[in-house]
This record gives sequence, C-alpha cells and structure tokens, in this order.
Amino acid sequence: MNDKINKIDKIDKIDTAGLKKQVEDVRASFRSSLSSVQNTDGLQELRVKIIGKKGVLTSLLKSLGALPASERPLAGEMLNKLRDEMEEELGNKKAALVDAEIRAAEETDRVDVTMPSRARAGGAFHPVAQTMHEIVAIMQGLGYSVALGPEKEEEHYNFDCLNIPSWHPARDMQDTFYFSDGTLLRTHTSPVQIRSMLKYGAPLRVVCPGKVYRRDNDTTHSPMFNQLEGLLLEQDVSFSVLKGSLRELMNGFFGRELKSRFRASYFPFTEPSMELDIECVECGGKNPNCRICKGTGWLEVCGMGMVHPFVVRAGGVDPDKYNGFAFGMGLDRMAMLKYGISDLRYLFNGNVSYFLSGRNA
Amino acid sequence: MIISWHLLKNFIKLDVTPEEAAERLSLSGAEVEYISRPEAKIKGVTVARVDSLKKHHAKEHLLVAELNTCKGEVVCVTAAKNLKPGDMVFYGAPGSTLADGKELSARSFDGVESAGMMLSAAEMGLPDVDIVEGILTLPKDALVGSDATTLYGFGDTLLDVSITPNRGDLLSVLGMARELHGLFPDSELLPMPWEAETTEETIEQPIEFGSISPLRNGARPRLAAEWPIEFGSISLPDPGCINYNLGLATDVTIAPSPVDVRVALSHLGMRPISNIVDATNYVMLTLGQPLHAFDLNTLPAPEVTVRAAFDGEKILTLDGKERVLTPADMLITSGGVGIGLAGVMGGSQTGIADDTKIVLLEGANFSARRVGHTSRRLGLTSEASFRYARGVDPTLAETGVDYALYLMRVWSGAKVGYRKKSAVNAAPEPKPVSLTKKKLDTILLWSDMDESAKILEGFGLKRVSQSVSQDGPVMSFTPPTWRPDITIEEDLIEEIGRFRGYNDAPDILPGVLPRRADIGAETVLAGALRGVAIARGYVEAITYSFLPERFTDALHLPHDDIRANPLTLANPISQDWMAMRTTLIPGLLAGLKESLSSGWREPVRIFEVGRIFLRDPHAKNGHREEDAMAGLVFGGIDPRTPWKETRDDFLSVKGDVEAFLASRGQAADFVSGTQPFGHTGQTADIVVSFGEEKKKLGFLARLSPAIEREMDFTEPVYVFEIFLAPLETPKKPVYSPASQFPAAFRDISMLAPLSRTNDEVIADIRAAVNKSSGAKSLLESVRLFDVYSGKGIPEGLRSLAFAVTYRAKEKTLQDEDVDGIHNAARDTLTQKGYSMR
Repeated sequence: MNDKINKIDKIDKIDTAGLKKQVEDVRASFRSSLSSVQNTDGLQELRVKIIGKKGVLTSLLKSLGALPASERPLAGEMLNKLRDEMEEELGNKKAALVDAEIRAAEETDRVDVTMPSRARAGGAFHPVAQTMHEIVAIMQGLGYSVALGPEKEEEHYNFDCLNIPSWHPARDMQDTFYFSDGTLLRTHTSPVQIRSMLKYGAPLRVVCPGKVYRRDNDTTHSPMFNQLEGLLLEQDVSFSVLKGSLRELMNGFFGRELKSRFRASYFPFTEPSMELDIECVECGGKNPNCRICKGTGWLEVCGMGMVHPFVVRAGGVDPDKYNGFAFGMGLDRMAMLKYGISDLRYLFNGNVSYFLSGRNA
Repeated sequence: MIISWHLLKNFIKLDVTPEEAAERLSLSGAEVEYISRPEAKIKGVTVARVDSLKKHHAKEHLLVAELNTCKGEVVCVTAAKNLKPGDMVFYGAPGSTLADGKELSARSFDGVESAGMMLSAAEMGLPDVDIVEGILTLPKDALVGSDATTLYGFGDTLLDVSITPNRGDLLSVLGMARELHGLFPDSELLPMPWEAETTEETIEQPIEFGSISPLRNGARPRLAAEWPIEFGSISLPDPGCINYNLGLATDVTIAPSPVDVRVALSHLGMRPISNIVDATNYVMLTLGQPLHAFDLNTLPAPEVTVRAAFDGEKILTLDGKERVLTPADMLITSGGVGIGLAGVMGGSQTGIADDTKIVLLEGANFSARRVGHTSRRLGLTSEASFRYARGVDPTLAETGVDYALYLMRVWSGAKVGYRKKSAVNAAPEPKPVSLTKKKLDTILLWSDMDESAKILEGFGLKRVSQSVSQDGPVMSFTPPTWRPDITIEEDLIEEIGRFRGYNDAPDILPGVLPRRADIGAETVLAGALRGVAIARGYVEAITYSFLPERFTDALHLPHDDIRANPLTLANPISQDWMAMRTTLIPGLLAGLKESLSSGWREPVRIFEVGRIFLRDPHAKNGHREEDAMAGLVFGGIDPRTPWKETRDDFLSVKGDVEAFLASRGQAADFVSGTQPFGHTGQTADIVVSFGEEKKKLGFLARLSPAIEREMDFTEPVYVFEIFLAPLETPKKPVYSPASQFPAAFRDISMLAPLSRTNDEVIADIRAAVNKSSGAKSLLESVRLFDVYSGKGIPEGLRSLAFAVTYRAKEKTLQDEDVDGIHNAARDTLTQKGYSMR
C-alpha cells in the first residue's frame, strides 16, 4: 500500500491539464490503497498520507497558488471534489472495518450458552403451604379474613365449646395428644372459630388455616396435618351461601368447573351437617380402577354445616339473631389432589429431592 | 357397621336394589363404604343327602359317599370324619365353583371317581360357620337340589355402612329398616314381635317356627310367670341406669346355633359361639339392644344392684384385664361383688360356660354419657359400649330380653323361659320440637310444611300440634324413642334437608361486608418471606412440630438454654414424636438427612416458617408459641462446580438473611456471637433496630464441626433462625432523589489487625473522617472493596481497601475540599495504629 501512496509524489508541473492527470492518479492510487486496507490502523495511515498535513491532497491544494488566477476556481473545485470523495470512501471503509472488528471481538467473547448457570438453582414451594396461600387468596376475594390461634389449645375451646363434651363419642373420631397440664394439641382449627367469635362477634367471615394434630399414624393419617376451616356468621344465612362459597373455593383452587355433590353427614358443631364430594380430579369419574377415587368418581374434600346454636352461643353470639355456616378441609389432601402427590409421607420429611422433582415438571 | 340385606328383608318390604338403597343412604348421612357379596363366586352348589358311606378300598383315611342329588345318585370321596348317612350337605358338582372362585372337577382317588365334592363352610367362604372340622351339615328339612346361595343366608349382600356418632339407632338391622322406610316412602315396615298380642302363659309345648324370624308371624314367646328359684331384688341406686330387666332360662343345653344364625353372625363380623351367646349377639345386631348372659350359679347372691363404683374399686372384665374404677363408672354387682362394668363389659367370673344350666339374661339401658365416659376413660370399646355411648332406645331393653329368651328356646338352648323381673329409673321422655316455616325457609330456601311433616313422619316422628305464630306457621313433632338426637329445630331441618338432598339448592355468593377482608400480618409476612426464600434457591419445608426428646442432646444444648426444656406430650405416639420443638433447626437437619439418604448429592437449601413452643413462666399455661423462620444450607455431597465463587458459605447465607430482612424494610447488624451448636468462629447474632430499641432477632451459624461430624455431614452446614413477630409490621422505605451535586471518591487502603472486624474498621474510618471534616460531615459512605491476607502481609494483619464517598449537599466538591479532610483522616487512622498503604 505504502508503495502506491508513495508514487503520488510532489507535483512538479502545475497546469490545469497536469492537475487533472494528477487528480486521476491520486484517485486511482487511493482507491487501490483503500481496497487493500485491512484494519482501522491501516486506514488511519492512508488518511494521513492523503489528507494529513503532509498528505498528497494537501500538497496539491497548496500548489493551487501557483496556477493562474483564472484557472484556480476550476482546479480548486476539482481538488475539493476529490477530497470529498475520498473522505466519504474513508468514512465508509472505517465504518465497515469498525463493524468487522466488533464482530470479531464478539466472536472471541463467545459463551457456551449450554454451560450450567452460575447462579443458584431456583427453590421450590411446599405444595401444602402453596395450597394454603392459594385458598386464602380465593376466600379473601369472598370477604373472608384470616384468623389464627394457638396450636397448643385448651379442652374448653377445642371440645367443650364445640358441643363435644368429654363423654361424647365424637371424641373417638379425634384421638387427641395431651400435655400433663390437661391442655392438648388442637385436633382441628375449629377452636380458632370460637376465639374469633369471642374476639370479633358477628357479623363475621373468617378462614382459619393451620396445623392440627391427631394421634394417628398410618399410610393415610399423619399425626400432624394442615386444615383450613371457614366460618360465616350473619343474619338469615342460607345453606345456599355455603354452597356458593365452596363452589368458588373448589373451582378457584382447581382452576376449572368441577362437578360436586353434597351428602348429609354429622358433626357435633354443625346442624344440619354435610360433606362435599367433588368429581375426581384425576379421572373425572371415567376410570373404574382410578387410584385416587377408587372408581367412585367422587372425592370427599370438605365437611361442613350450619353452625350449631350451641356453638354460636359458646362464641358469645346470640343464635336467635345470627346464624351461619362452617366448613373444614384438609389442606394436605387438597394439595395432594391438585399436585398429584400420592404419598402423605413425602409432605413432612423435608426431603428437597421430592419437592425439587416437581420444579421443572 | 355391616348390614345384611337378607336380614333386612325380615324387617322391611323394599323394592329397590342394594345399590339403590346404598346410594340413597350415602347421600342422606349413612355413608355406605362398600357393598360386598362374599359368596358371589359360588355357582352350581346344591343340597344333597348322604345315602351311604363306605370305606375307600385302598386309602384308609378316605370315605366314599353315595349322594342323592338333584341329578341322581353320585359318588363323592371325602376325608371328612363328621358325616353319617342321612346327613344333608352342600354338594359341588364338577364344573361348579367355590367361594374363592375355584372350579371343581371330577377326580379319581385310586380308581374311585369322585364327582365333585361335599363342601365345608370354609369352602363356602365362611369358616366360622363350621362347628366341627369336616363337611358342613344342614338341617334335615333341606330340600335336595336347592341352590346353596338361596339358603340360610348364603349369597347375602352386605352393606358396610359408616354410622355417625349421633345415629346410634342405625347400629341394628331394625334401625336401618326404619331409616330406609323414611328414605323410601313406598316401602313397608313389617310388624315387630312386640307389636303383637302378648300372653303370659307357661310354655307347654314348643312353638314351631320354620325360620329364626318370628317377626312376620307377629308371635311373641309365652313365658312362665314365676321363677322357680329364690331371687331378691333389682336395685338401681345409680340414675345412670335407666332401666334394668332380667330374664331367666332354665334347662339350658349349650350347643351350636342353627346354620342360618351362624351364617348371619359371620356375615356381620361376629364369631358364632353357642346358642346362648349367639342369641344375645343376634338380638343386639338385629334390634340394637345389647344383652348380657350370666350363669346364674356363678352369681355371688340372688340379687343385682347397679351403682356407682367406689373410687379405686376393681373388676376383672371378660377380656381378662383388671379395671380400676372411679365413681363416674357404673358397676353391676351381686352380693356387693362386681359382676359387670355397666354397658361396657361383663365380669370374667359370671359368664356363660359349657356347663351352664341356668341363664340369667340382662337387658338394660344405661346413660349414653356415662357409658361413653367409662369406655373412653378405659380405652375399652365393646359392641355394647359402642351402642350405649351412641344411645340405645330405652324401650328396647324388655323386648330384647323377651326376644333372646325366645331365640334360646327355638335354638334348643333352653327349655323354659320365665317372665322378666324389671326395675326402672325415670327414663327421659322425648320432648316435642317445633318447626317454623320461617327458619325452614331461611336455611333450605324451601318451606313446604305439609311435605316436611310427611318426611318427618316417615322417619317416625309424630306431629303433635300445628299453629301460626308471629313468625308464621309452626308445627310440633315428637321424635320417636330411638331418636334422642332430635332435640332442636335445626335437627328437624336436617331430617328434611337430608331427605330432600342438598344438591338442588341454588348457589348463592355471600354479600358484601361493611369491611374489607384482612389476610392478617402473620400470613402476609409468611407469604412475603417464602417468596424471597424460594427465589433465592431455598426449598420450602413443613416438618413435624414434635421431635425426639433427645434433640436437645443432638444440638448440644445446655440445661439452662430455654430451648433445652421443651413441652412434652403426655401420650406421644412414639419417643420420636414427643417433645414440642423449641427451634425449627432439628426439623431442617432431619430434612437434610432425609434428602441425603434419598440420594440427593447437590447443594441443599431448605427453609421453614412455623411455630415453636417455648416455656415461659409469665405466659398463660406457662408457655408461648412463636412464629419463626429457619433455613439450612449445605454445600452438597459432591460440591464440585466450575464456578467456585458460587459455593455457599457463611457470607452468602448472610446475604439471604439480609434479603429476608430487606423485604421487610429492615437491615441487620451481624454481631459475632455464640450458639451451643455453632462454629466458634462462624456464629453471629442477628440484631435489628426498631426505633431506639435493638432486638436480637435470631442467629446465623455454621454448625460446629463436632456436630457436623456427629451427624455425618461431609460439608459445612449453615443454619439461621429468626423470630418473625417483630417483622410483622414492615418498615416503610424513605425515598430521596439523587443529589444534583456530584460526589468525590477516594480510596483508603490499610493494614488492620485480623482481630478488628470489618464493621469496627469502618466505624474507625467514619470517626476519623468525621473528626477531620467537623460538624458538616461530607462523608457519604465507606465500602469495602478488597480484602487480602497472606503472602506479603505480616502475620496477624490483613489488607483492607475501602472506597470512601464524599458529597456536599449544596455544592460540587473540589479536590481541595476533600483532600485535606481525607488526608487528615488517614493521619488519624495511622495514629490509631492502622498502617496506611
């Protein structure tokens, strides 16, 4: 390149015709040099050679003075045009070179995008805690506040206020953990309903999530499990409002319209009492060998009823003025149904592998 | 509770299938768990008569029988020893199937072709029905050729029904028949024996009955009036005994019950024993009235008293266990000696034996409450106590005794029955209950009073009055004696509701309350923290609230640590689930163990938000429950990674704790501290300021290497735990715009003693800068950006480099504003002993 540039030497003879020739020579040799420039450094070198202080074009411009005044404008125009041309071509070339160099640098910085990420792997929720928060959010939308209470509870709130005196066979349904001082681990979250009534009175709309304990341990019973109960206490409450609340809860939680049926049942603290079955979330009642619904097509998910006047009174509320309903469900069961967990034992052993196994499923 | 469809048909005329009945029962409160037909697989088995029995010509232990069957004479080889010519048996021809589905075929025994076989009860699916080892023999009047599955209750359909505790009346065939009659108004209840005319003549000759069911005949046993023995009185000083009846049967011969009774008992889950005992059980299962049979000769005295037990009084019950009683228990005594625990179990000395000659039969009614109490207190549930605790119709006791005496006689157990001796305490009379149209309409959104009355009458209630009050129409109903559970208006509404079903009621959403729903600070906080934790790579855990009592040892907790003295359960399931947790850490450690033993080799990060239980002498009941959050981080069984800097350590976990606190608008000081289970050099107290008050919220620690070793953890384990209550109210952030005046930046690099903490060095820098800049401090922040110790740094020292930011509130700082202050601060630090670099 340098050779070509160097051929454009000082101008010996100044006349218009000679200048024209010189301009052609400069242009030709510039283009030739430019085409062989490989990088921005080379480009800068060329630029200096042409339009630098001692550049060829600069020399030509300086020599204009030697021309007769009448020829100068034409000669000047010729040279300026040449300069503009070369400037533009230099600029274009520079842009192209810069672009190529950036791209080359990016190529060097190439990352193997399949490498493992350097951040920590994400965590995972516990299905039961997730279920609790989901249901609380649904019920909040229906106006239910959250009420919490102690897990170590007094017999009075856990049984007596709920119409389950000590001799009552209903206590057989709930084998209880006791402490030596006669207190117990609550067998349901119902005592929170009593405490809520005593604290807030009526009208009242609460859900009470929490851990509960029963002295049972087999493949389908854990001595500790999680419940969520609801209580609505207002004036002239119909069973239909309970039905509506539970429809929203179930459809909201499972994310679709589910068939449901209500069966009459018995709980000491409600009268009348019912249980809710929803259609099997696994087979929809279509699989006679379904391991979830055992082929019945129905899943028992929730006990409920109109709050017994005895209980309303125990909560310090006048049952002649207010009535309402209560319902209760196992959060563990709800979580197992929604997330397809088949074995209760996985829920409380803190095994990360089990919960992370569901992370990317 | 198992219901026999076969027995049910003695009580009710009902034109539905067992499946239809089950569906209706399930939806109306008596859930049918399953329907079974234990002999469904039996096919082609018929009655045959043994015409002759000969020894097998070659095999000494075999007999060759000639049978008269519906298909003529056949030859059958048997090893059974109990047969004699003339016996009626069940015969399975080749091609027929047994209860277990096995198909029979012809088989040759050393040249004698046996065409199928004669069957034992076991082969018919009911081993308990066999009296002796061998072939089941049938009554003489059995008709040759009859299909076995139509005889004696074989081929029955059984409904396993879950009976709720309020419906003691459903624990019998009779009760179930009444319930079905209420549910199926087109059905017809068949007459009960006690509804028939009674006579009180001495039995002169046995009354012939073709079956064990006298009910359709409407007959009632006629009993001898005067007892042939001296017998004193029945005294009931304890009002918990509502009534007490004694029947007497003499000339007793203990023998097996008839085959149909044995089949019925087997189907219902009771083992047939003898004609006497079976009669009491049969009456209990059919009528719901528990009975108890005493051997009269074993009674200490000819009198019976039902009284409260003395405190500490003992009785040896039938199951061979000694029971220590309290005055809340009722004892049946004779001559002052306990012979039975009322309503629960008889005494071991006075029961029926093989040589019993005179039976004294007790039919009584005891208070549900008292029996329930005793049964629960002793953890002793019997068929009797289960029924009494759920309420037995007090009018049944007499009937039950009569019926059992009758059965004993029919089953050749006793020749003569005698009229009862009875004593009665005041029995509670069912009180009328009102039903208002208004309440009915409120709850069910349906209010047809006439239809309601029909439904209630179907269930045995009697309409006693009808009027109109200010609330509209009112009707009054008296519940039958077997429905003590009906006492308030809601109970009537439930009967109507469950009859009609709840599925057609409309769905209505609750209206708007005059206040918003409040999720509550605890739940909001738990939700916020779990969000941060899961995002930072933690897995959420829920672990048991109870721990092995020795968890305190595992954590090296000293006795005076509040966590070393947990509340303990009085009746734990096992020693492993005994102590209420005082910290969440053991649960997480167990979770780590569980994860590793399941083969997990990667890092483990788990957290839990939950309650802990701490003793507190100032709190109610001597303890308090605290919400806490704990986390655990373990590098993994195989901690290798291409990114060394991502391996967790104390400071990375510190970052997590800071993030939890930051999500509540809080920042913490981490102050070097100690934990009994903490690494000496890697344990910090987490201290948070709430206004003027500094609270120790919890700790962050690496487990002490000793515990890591004891628990076989091959990599460091980091744990933290914080109390949540102080974080329930989030601190609001205070916002300010960026300063319009640029800051000036200077670095300070120095050697500091290793014993000086970062926080302390920064405090020194701040003090030095503030000292040289005076009251209007220009110091904005001091940030560590490099730390180095090792080669080139004297031992005991480390090199620290800090970026110091200066900024003025009202102007752009010039070099000369900062240089003087900065250099003066460096001099101050040098004087303090730091060596500046």
